[in-house]
Amino acid sequence: MAARVAPWLAWRNVRHRPAHAALLLLTLTLATSTLGVGMWLYGSADGPWDRAWARTDGFHVQALAYRNRDDPRRDADLAEARAAMDALAADPDVVAVGGPWTHLYGLLEFEGGTEDLTAEVRPAGVSPVDHPLVTAGAWLDDGDPGVVLEQGLAEAMHAGPGDTLRLQGRDVPVRGVAMTVSRGRFPLTRPAHVWITPATAAELRDLGMTEEGMELAVRLADPDDAEKVAGRHPASVEGMFVETWRQRRADSHSDVDILAGTVFAAGILVGVLAIATAAVIVAGRMAAHARQTGTLKAVGALPRQVVAVLLVEHLALAAIATVVGLAVARAIAPPLARSSLTLLGAPEPPPLSWARVAIVGGVAAGAVVVATLRPALRAARRSTLRSLASGARPPRRRGRLAGLADRAGAPLPAVLGLRSAWRRPSRLVSNAAGLTLAVAMVVVAVALRASLDRLATDPPEAGRTLSARADAVLYDRVTLIVLATAGVLILLGGVNAAVVASFAARDSARAHATFRALGATPRQTVATLVVSQMGACALALAAGIPLGLGLWQLMDGGDLPPVPVPAGAVAGVAVVVPAVFAAVASVPGWRRARRPAGLDLGGD
Amino acid sequence: MTPVLEARGLCKTYAADDAPVRAVDGLDLTVEAGEAVSVMGPSGCGKSTMLHLLGGLERPDGGEILLDGTRVDRRSEAAWAVLRRRSIGFVFQAFNLVDELTAAENVELPARLAGATPRRARARAAELLERLGVAARSGHLPDRLSGGERQRVAVARALVNEPRVILADEPTGNLDSRATGEILRVFDDLRGMGQSLLVVTHDARVASTADVLLTMRDGAITGQTRLDGPRTAGGVASLADLGGT
Repeated sequence: MAARVAPWLAWRNVRHRPAHAALLLLTLTLATSTLGVGMWLYGSADGPWDRAWARTDGFHVQALAYRNRDDPRRDADLAEARAAMDALAADPDVVAVGGPWTHLYGLLEFEGGTEDLTAEVRPAGVSPVDHPLVTAGAWLDDGDPGVVLEQGLAEAMHAGPGDTLRLQGRDVPVRGVAMTVSRGRFPLTRPAHVWITPATAAELRDLGMTEEGMELAVRLADPDDAEKVAGRHPASVEGMFVETWRQRRADSHSDVDILAGTVFAAGILVGVLAIATAAVIVAGRMAAHARQTGTLKAVGALPRQVVAVLLVEHLALAAIATVVGLAVARAIAPPLARSSLTLLGAPEPPPLSWARVAIVGGVAAGAVVVATLRPALRAARRSTLRSLASGARPPRRRGRLAGLADRAGAPLPAVLGLRSAWRRPSRLVSNAAGLTLAVAMVVVAVALRASLDRLATDPPEAGRTLSARADAVLYDRVTLIVLATAGVLILLGGVNAAVVASFAARDSARAHATFRALGATPRQTVATLVVSQMGACALALAAGIPLGLGLWQLMDGGDLPPVPVPAGAVAGVAVVVPAVFAAVASVPGWRRARRPAGLDLGGD
Repeated sequence: MTPVLEARGLCKTYAADDAPVRAVDGLDLTVEAGEAVSVMGPSGCGKSTMLHLLGGLERPDGGEILLDGTRVDRRSEAAWAVLRRRSIGFVFQAFNLVDELTAAENVELPARLAGATPRRARARAAELLERLGVAARSGHLPDRLSGGERQRVAVARALVNEPRVILADEPTGNLDSRATGEILRVFDDLRGMGQSLLVVTHDARVASTADVLLTMRDGAITGQTRLDGPRTAGGVASLADLGGT
């Protein structure tokens, strides 16, 4: 067979069964677009950070020292930290120094609660290193007692220039709003942060604000020397931290990274499910095309050429899915990133690189190769005669489960369904595998929801009135992603179930027509088909619920309150999933049942 | 006496790409109680479609079907299912045994559908399999049975609910000559027992076991011959000229 024949036959196959091709394309595109979104989100906050870093003459190396307020060694340690910072400032690679700036600790009063706050004492004027970029109002002025709010705090409070802030029981005017790269944005970085003049600091000290630490920021002749310089000046006392600009940039937008990681993980799950879907479709296609395979071999095609026809067809679909998925991701990622609480400006998705294309395309291609190779090789190895006589191999043994069900008095359609439940084991396993992931994700979503409900009803910790609200928003976003992932997985699980059921309906069309000829009603034949498909659902529940509970156990160690997965919700999953599955599986059965039975019985 | 099965002006047209195909075209047919009727005709003349229409497996476009004098062609699918359980037995060329059920279970199936208890259905199946000479194979799945054995199981299945009429579609079409001989004896016995039969066949030997021979062409009955006198499983010599292959 000439090299051009494989693409030609593949194209003919796609045209002959466009629904199968469309279904496979949809599944693969869901996976590639989800992966693409994850990849584009990751790093989309770096551009804005770099802009802010450049405009504020951001630090190359930063030293921070914080002391526990109740620690009696506080003053001694701070003195030692100051000496370490002086040494850093005197390093020969340092070309500019900002600070050290004193940090005062206090309480911000807000809507009946309090929020921990750090006030950084800065002189008026522009620092050579890390001068915050004013986005509203004006910078500090020695003749004005007003404070400048860190931009994240201002947005969380919906406050701006002209408003007042209640600090340590006193109303302080807001002079301006500014952004900086020297710390992350509130509320994901706590405590809340404001800049104050030395004069205001003296007043606030009188009101009970205490010194809790200091900060030094330096710029180097070469930013790439940051790691080397930081290595020469390690943190010398407890509570001191020395960071480079690269470390800070990586840590500064954790919510975008969490979002990217979650979406990427969802993309991997969808990719795995795409394998199951592709396997189901390919297996069904192989059953339907067994005769074509036999014919190809009969006219002289080699087994590898038979495999090539299928691989060409599916790899072409994977290529299309990669292009479409990346385009969809490119459109979706920026609006998603804009929901970030840590961005220092508009998000900038990183440029499309060959590596990214290779990862997304590789997942799509891998899914179809894994799904296609086994059934294609089986078909290629099967004898030509057997290929020409298509159909499932007849069973060699009686089904024990069906026998038990019969003796237990189960309805006849159920017994008949159980008889044919294991007729296509690989299809059943593919179907069950896909559904298992969906069930597991639903269990995780249910548990996450319960945990967040607990979080919502618990009173916020002292000093976290404002940031607790932002946490809730973040958790809601994660829940939304988990729910959306569960929804996509359920959708794909449903697609799998529908495809497998339609193939099963086609395979069993003659048997079911015979049932009808013997007096079975359409309802009974549909029930038989549905029961024959429920094995996959039972396997999925048996594996998916423990898998979901296990995943939740792994997640439970994080910031979320530890709550057991509600038994009622799990029971609900165990009831609703089979009901939906049965409804989906019954659709092809009813479609077949509407056909006259005579059409499936043959004859002239 | 009221005929067991009667068709009047039966029509069935299938849609096709170029022009509709009239598979059954104004067909009239009567099967009296205890009468065996065979239908012969060339391939594609509509024999199987006629059987499917008479058994309610397909819906006619026109005409009437009467079972025991009652018009049944307008009944719902579920009502037809009940009719088939009680009054109609089917035997197919391809046997259409259920792969997952043993021979005995295949025979039990219509009885169970009709509401018989498993014990009663089992007893009835055993009795029929014994009578048809395949009792020793009752526990085997169809895949392990010979063609003749499968068809005898299919006949037992058709008989299990003591139907008013058996509709058989090329019952020897997939059998070798030895198995065909076995089935001919079975049909001869059925006729001897007074079982009403409508058999579509290409095989003159099968046709010769009937009381009445109908010939069919282009969807309609074109000839009727009453076959008098005793016949044997070997068939009637004169029928060999009727086109059976």
